[in-house]
Amino acid sequence: VRTALAVLALSCAVAAHADDLSIGSPAPADFEVTAADGSHAAFASLKGPVTVVAFVSAKCPVANAYLQRMIDLYKDYSAKGVHFVFLNSNSNETAADLATVFPVYKDPNNRAADLFGAQTTPEFFVLDNVNAVRYHGAFDDSQNAARVRVHGLQSALDAVLSGRAVSPERTKAFGCSIHRVRHS
Amino acid sequence: MKFLFLLALPLAAQSFTPVDEAGYQKLVQSQKGSVVVIDFWATYCKPCRAEMPQLVKLEAKLHAKGMRVVTVSADEPEAMAAAKKFLAEAGAAALPAYVKRPKDDDKFIDAIDPKWQGALPALFIYDRGGKKVRSFIGETAIADIEAALQKLL
Repeated sequence: VRTALAVLALSCAVAAHADDLSIGSPAPADFEVTAADGSHAAFASLKGPVTVVAFVSAKCPVANAYLQRMIDLYKDYSAKGVHFVFLNSNSNETAADLATVFPVYKDPNNRAADLFGAQTTPEFFVLDNVNAVRYHGAFDDSQNAARVRVHGLQSALDAVLSGRAVSPERTKAFGCSIHRVRHS
Repeated sequence: MKFLFLLALPLAAQSFTPVDEAGYQKLVQSQKGSVVVIDFWATYCKPCRAEMPQLVKLEAKLHAKGMRVVTVSADEPEAMAAAKKFLAEAGAAALPAYVKRPKDDDKFIDAIDPKWQGALPALFIYDRGGKKVRSFIGETAIADIEAALQKLL
């Protein structure tokens, strides 16, 4: 049984994912997520005028290196009206693993990760008030907080909140791959 | 003097060559004539560590047919001692070892594969002409990698 589960849990190659969403395109909205207490929530009900969708992990050392930075941003920008939807899409983790820090939802069968084309933890999307993707990418440009030069996610939020163009709109960074279930 | 030389030898055998966008292209070109697996890994990446000994075995199996494995560590400078130690323990010390050191990770990742977000493990296969023919992002069964290679050998 363990072997069968391990085979089932093997991740798919990138070809099995949706291509990532282009900037300005509508974000996926029609899917459900599961809270740490087991209750279900429609993703659409969690969104606000500006929404951060964050793909996170409790086991990924890169995501953990960003934990304090994510908590600080969550606190600062929640106060500014930004909604955060933290999603754990890893098939080998539960939503409860990080739920004491900020609310984390389980993404059953990594459906949201597939719809968004997310590959990595941590990976972020910023959606505006018409559900358009305004930013996709990394939290910032260095796992080591002392070497950060570009605060991609924070800059994007500041731009969207003040009605300015986002720059950069698209960033990339090394991280852990999302541990997907295999779709046959 | 001879003693000092012997002391330096293992360190030299496990050194990492820093690579940026231009260096990566040179690396690919230098492997022309072989079917090459370029394996991006990091010490923090558990599935990368599990995959490494399997790649070493696969390289040994297919070496005579012209298959080569090159490793590129995505580790930060603080982790390089651990990276060297890991490669030795995984039996991979003899493989060409590079480390990513671009000015900007973002542009480096995009230059290697526009569809790659930077997720590890990531493994790219180049044919004998130096053309990228397959990208495996995330955990991949070694049998799938071998099957892709066999088509090129």
